[in-house]
Amino acid sequence: MIFSELNRLGILGINNRVGRYILRHNKRKLYPYVDNKVLTAKLAEDWRIPTPVNHLVIKNYGTLKFLGEKIQDLDSFVIKPAKGSQGNGIIVIKEVIRTEVNGKKKIVCRRSNDKLMELDEVKHHISGILSGLYSLGGQSDEAIIQSRIEKHPIFDDYSFGGIPDIRVIVFQGYPVMSMVRLPTRSSDGRANLHQGAIGAGITLSTGLINHAVIGKKLVTHHPDTENEIRNLVLPHWRDVLDLAAKCYDMVGLGYLGADIVLTPNDGPVLLELNARPGLGIQIANLSGLVPRLELISANVNVEHDYKARVDFSMKHF
Amino acid sequence: MRTKIIIFTLCLLLFPLGLLFYKVNYLNLSILPQKVDDSWHFHLTIKPRNKDTAKFPLPKAYHGLKITDEKIVSDNSEIIVENQSDSHLASWKNLGEVKTGILYSAKIDIDPVVYKTFHKDYTQVYPRTYQKYLKVGELSPEELDAIQSLERAILEGDEDKTSAIRKIFYYIDEEIRRNFGVTKIHESLFTGNGSPLVKAKIFNVMARRQKVPSRIVVGIRMPTPQEEARKQKIRFTYANEVFLNNKWIPIDTNRSYFGVRPDNFLVIHRNYDEVGKYLSKKNASYNIQIQRAKMNRFNKEVYRDEVVKSDSLVARLSLYRLPLPLQQMFSTILLIPLGTLVLAFARNLIGIPTLGIFTPIILTLFFKETSFGFGLFFFSVIVGVGILERYVLDKFYLLAVPRLSIILTFVILFMIGYTLVSVDGGFFSQKHLAFFPIVIVATNIERLSIMLAEDGLINTSKTLVGTLVIAVLGYLLFSIPSLEILMFTNPELLFTVIGLLILIGKYKGYRLSEFLRFRDLVRQKKVLEGEK
Repeated sequence: MIFSELNRLGILGINNRVGRYILRHNKRKLYPYVDNKVLTAKLAEDWRIPTPVNHLVIKNYGTLKFLGEKIQDLDSFVIKPAKGSQGNGIIVIKEVIRTEVNGKKKIVCRRSNDKLMELDEVKHHISGILSGLYSLGGQSDEAIIQSRIEKHPIFDDYSFGGIPDIRVIVFQGYPVMSMVRLPTRSSDGRANLHQGAIGAGITLSTGLINHAVIGKKLVTHHPDTENEIRNLVLPHWRDVLDLAAKCYDMVGLGYLGADIVLTPNDGPVLLELNARPGLGIQIANLSGLVPRLELISANVNVEHDYKARVDFSMKHF
Repeated sequence: MRTKIIIFTLCLLLFPLGLLFYKVNYLNLSILPQKVDDSWHFHLTIKPRNKDTAKFPLPKAYHGLKITDEKIVSDNSEIIVENQSDSHLASWKNLGEVKTGILYSAKIDIDPVVYKTFHKDYTQVYPRTYQKYLKVGELSPEELDAIQSLERAILEGDEDKTSAIRKIFYYIDEEIRRNFGVTKIHESLFTGNGSPLVKAKIFNVMARRQKVPSRIVVGIRMPTPQEEARKQKIRFTYANEVFLNNKWIPIDTNRSYFGVRPDNFLVIHRNYDEVGKYLSKKNASYNIQIQRAKMNRFNKEVYRDEVVKSDSLVARLSLYRLPLPLQQMFSTILLIPLGTLVLAFARNLIGIPTLGIFTPIILTLFFKETSFGFGLFFFSVIVGVGILERYVLDKFYLLAVPRLSIILTFVILFMIGYTLVSVDGGFFSQKHLAFFPIVIVATNIERLSIMLAEDGLINTSKTLVGTLVIAVLGYLLFSIPSLEILMFTNPELLFTVIGLLILIGKYKGYRLSEFLRFRDLVRQKKVLEGEK
């Protein structure tokens, strides 16, 4: 059988992920809490889980007319579709340039990749979000104007452009596996593995990088900064795992991906949740999810609070 | 839970098969309707000239030739059909003035005759009744001379009869070109030209001179669709039969067949010697009309009668009771679940990416409703429009719904243009279902263009190719005529499809694509394990 090696390593396949984990442990009615970032943010507020600040939620086209006034106090922001996935439709504005031409105020936005966007272009992008271009299944959507998160200085040597994010897969409240996605020049500064960002597996017990890959290839150094990735030690590691484990209590999804970013001042911040986290994390860690998931299944204790669950995971993984 | 699912799935899989068994064994229904080949409406009008009595050959059913609805109509004649062993010969006596002639009509269904192996034949003695097939008629000195010199040229004299016949066949078939003007044996052999009749005559004479029973067959070649459209006049033509190894072997030097009689050759009479004189213009004039009977590949009508006669619950639930347009619609619709089976297999077991979930099936339907070539062409145009749209409409900053509508309108404009340009009226002739995929395919443009922008050309191409591959697989499946008819005849098979879908749905193993995706992981892991 050509799959015997995959079986031996306990690699989780898509069918198995969906059939055995997602369909069984994720109740459909809970999906909106992760699929809609506006709802996630509200829920997080109740649970005192730190998230980026939502300055503005644009729900209809009429609001767009006044976009210029509404963002007049912002120097930088991020535009996101509330129901987007895989980072689609996200634009990061790192600078808002305000000029006056012939007595008329003019606003130009500089994106994180240094491209300039007229205000009209920004509005057009937002109207695309509203009509559902980037949303799951194409339903109409809302656009979020969110505060831009600063990069934690530890990543300066290990990333190019945007902000790295940490993905933690949480099963029944127990962290299972984790990786950090480090943007590169070829990923256009985005933390997207499909576009060439580095996926670096993190050992849960220590917070140390175990392996790193670009696509399917093992790498040791960041291609742009040329620093050895294994030297990266993630700060606030226990806090990151605590935050991820708490998300299970918050949304109740048994199989969950939590995307967390480290900020210079506030420590870990929850960026978004994912009810169908991808399988590429296994490549970054060079190991399969199945044995870990089965170990957790066999040891689930509903009495455990998030701290006890993180203790369990840090002990075993 | 698990056993419940297994039992439920088994029921779904087995119930239709049980029903099928019941239908075949207890209701005596066929699994599929009888297959029908092309059949023909044959009309022969004969006008005898200046004679009170006359004869004319008529087709006679034999193994491989089915004749139904036979009718003979005449105004003032008394007709007797003589039943000869091999053929029919009609003779009539005129009771008054013949005005319209005698009309013979029938429905004709021809199967091809094919002999594949030919053994050597050294037969010496033939039955007495075959003597007439061995008699070489009177030949003029020139004819005899020409034939003898040809025999010296091509025959060695000591070969068996089968080999000799073959050599004669090859010579006449290849060296004598068809030319209706040359009707004499020696002229034909000298000039290398000859009418179909003279070619048959030469073959006949030469076969008989080799002591092989032989006869000239009078027949009609069924018109091709083009000839039908041109209303080309149909005439009798000629072929041969020789008796080798106790079988009459068909041979046709005019159309290059040895041991084969194709299903477009209707035998009218098997012995020209007997009927040649009746076919001449002095005896009678004739007019032949043949139309291809437009029939399904399967005879649904017969099956419908069969179903109705069985008078059971099954009969009452049969789709054959529906009016024809509804039948046609359902025979296509019933294929869709089979398409989903292909799709589910391709996506969940192989892991082929597709654009949208049901796009491949819609594309398949589109291929089926229009044509494969056009469907593919249209799909490429859609892809092209999708890419163009990114460049052009993007600059206008239009809201998404109007923008999509503009693309849809462009697609329709393109279709109008195409239909006007294409000579044969395009693909829209009464194919209403074609509208349905167009709208859906058009909405895929936007998804496609976003994909192009965000996932890059390579990933988009993969998805496009995946979509096309599944659509083509579905199309191939949909093109099996017996499958369509099987589903239509036995729609309960849909439960089997559901059962199979449950099986695919419960599959938790790896997809074939994951073997590729994690191949490097496995390799690198092995290297690391080796280092330890």
